[in-house]
Amino acid sequence: MPTPAEAAERAIGFIRDILGASSLRLDVGPTLVVLGVLLVLLQLVARPVSRWITSDAGGLAGVGRAMALAAEAGTDAVVSLGTAGLVRSTDAFGRLQTVAAIPLLGHVARAAARSGVAVRVLVNDPLAGVAAAAALDAAHESTSTMERLGRSRVVFVGEGRPVAAGLVMTARARPAAAFAAGSLREEGTLHLDGLRGGAGALTAATAEVSQAAAPLLAAGSGLIGPELFQAAADLRADANERTMVVAANRLLVLAVAVVVIGSVLALAGVADPTELLTGTGRP
Amino acid sequence: MRRAVIPALVIVIGVLLLADLLIANDSLRSVADLLVDAAILVATGAALAGVASLASRRAGDLWRRRGDPVGATGVLAGMALILVAGLRPGAEGAEDPAVGWLVAALLVPIGATLFGLLFVTTLAAARRSVAMRGREAVLVVGIAIVVLVLLLPIGGVAGDRLAGAAGWALSIPIGGVFRGMLIGVAILAAVLAARTMLGIGAADE
Repeated sequence: MPTPAEAAERAIGFIRDILGASSLRLDVGPTLVVLGVLLVLLQLVARPVSRWITSDAGGLAGVGRAMALAAEAGTDAVVSLGTAGLVRSTDAFGRLQTVAAIPLLGHVARAAARSGVAVRVLVNDPLAGVAAAAALDAAHESTSTMERLGRSRVVFVGEGRPVAAGLVMTARARPAAAFAAGSLREEGTLHLDGLRGGAGALTAATAEVSQAAAPLLAAGSGLIGPELFQAAADLRADANERTMVVAANRLLVLAVAVVVIGSVLALAGVADPTELLTGTGRP
Repeated sequence: MRRAVIPALVIVIGVLLLADLLIANDSLRSVADLLVDAAILVATGAALAGVASLASRRAGDLWRRRGDPVGATGVLAGMALILVAGLRPGAEGAEDPAVGWLVAALLVPIGATLFGLLFVTTLAAARRSVAMRGREAVLVVGIAIVVLVLLLPIGGVAGDRLAGAAGWALSIPIGGVFRGMLIGVAILAAVLAARTMLGIGAADE
C-alpha cells in the first residue's frame, strides 16, 4: 500500500512519462492558434442565447400553432432530416447538417408531444434513424408524455438521395405540417415539392448554398445557409428571455450609434463629445 | 443521471480526439483509433438493423395486405436481387460485375429519370411562389429570369455583350453572395461542432 506521497510521486511520474513520449503535431504557433480559436468558440457556444440574432427566420415560433392545427385535424406531422444522413458516404458538411437538424426535430417533437400529435421522421441513414428515435424519446420524456411515444415513428426510407425524394413524392399521407431540415442537394426541389404537396404547411431548412433557392420556391421561406446552424441556438421556449435579448440588442445599437455620431461630430470639428460630456471644454 | 452521463461521454471523447489531432503520442493514437473503430462498428450495426427493419416492415405490409403492395414488392425484390448478385458463391461482393451492372443499368437510370422531373417541378414552384407574392421568392425568380435572358444563345456583338454580362453576374455579385454564405456557414458550423462535441444542447431542452 503506497503512502500518499508515493502515490503522488507515481502520478507525477506517469504524467511526466506521457509528456516525455509526446510531441506537438504542429508548431507552437499553430497549436496556440487552434486553442485560441477553440476558446473563442467556447465563449460563443457557452452563451445562453444568440446576442445579435433574435429573428424567427424559419417561422419556428409557429410550430406550436401548427401542432395545434394538426391535433384539431387529427393528422400527424412529418419531419425529414434531409438526405445526407450521419454515416452515409457523403461529405462531412452534409452530415453536419443532419446533426444541426436534430435540435430542430427535438423542438418539433416537443411541440407535437404537448399537443398529442404523432410525428413521422423520414431518414435515409440508419444511424440518423437512431438519433431521431433518441430525440423523439427525449422530447416525450421532457414533456412527461411517454404514453404518446408509441404513436410517433422513425421511417428508414432506404439508401440514396433520390429514394427519399421519390418516397415523399409518392406518399399518400396528408400531414398537417411538414418540416425538412438538413442537407438537400440535386433532389432538393423534388423533395420539398413532394412534402409540400401533401402537407398543410412546409418549413424547409438547408445550409447547401447551391440549393438556397429551393426552400424559397417550395416553402416560401425557410432557414437558408448559416441559419440552419444558428437556429439550434435560437430555439427559445421562454418569450421573456427573447424579449430581454431584443431589449439588450437595442441598447447596444443605441450605444454604437452614439459612438458613431460622436466620432463624426468630432472629425467634422462641430463638437467634441468628450468635452461635451465631461464639461472640460467650457470656458 | 442518464442526461449527465451522455454529455460527459461526448465531452471526454471529443477532447480525446482533439488532443490526438494536436499531439503526437502513441498511446493517445491507440485510444483515438479504438474510439473511431467503435463508432464504425456501431454505425455498421445500425446500418444492418436499418436494412433488416426496412425488409421486415415491407414484408409485414405484404403479409398483412396493408400499405402499398407494389412498392413493398419492388423494395424486397430489389434487395433480393442485389443480395443474390453480391453474395452468391464466387461473387466479389460490392465489386462484382453483376452488382455494377444492376447499379449502372437500373439504379442510375431510375435516379436520372426522377431528376428529369426537376424541370417541371422547378417551373411549378416558381409559378406558385410568384402567385403567393413571397418577397424573397419573387426576388429569386426575377434574378433567375435576368440570368436566363443573359444566357440566351444569341450571336454577334449583342450575344457577346450578353455573355460577358452573364459571366460578370455569375462571378461577381452571385459568386460574392455564395462566398459570403459559405463563410457564414463555416463559422456557424464550427460553433455547432463545438457545441456538439461539448454536449451543449439547445436552450429549451
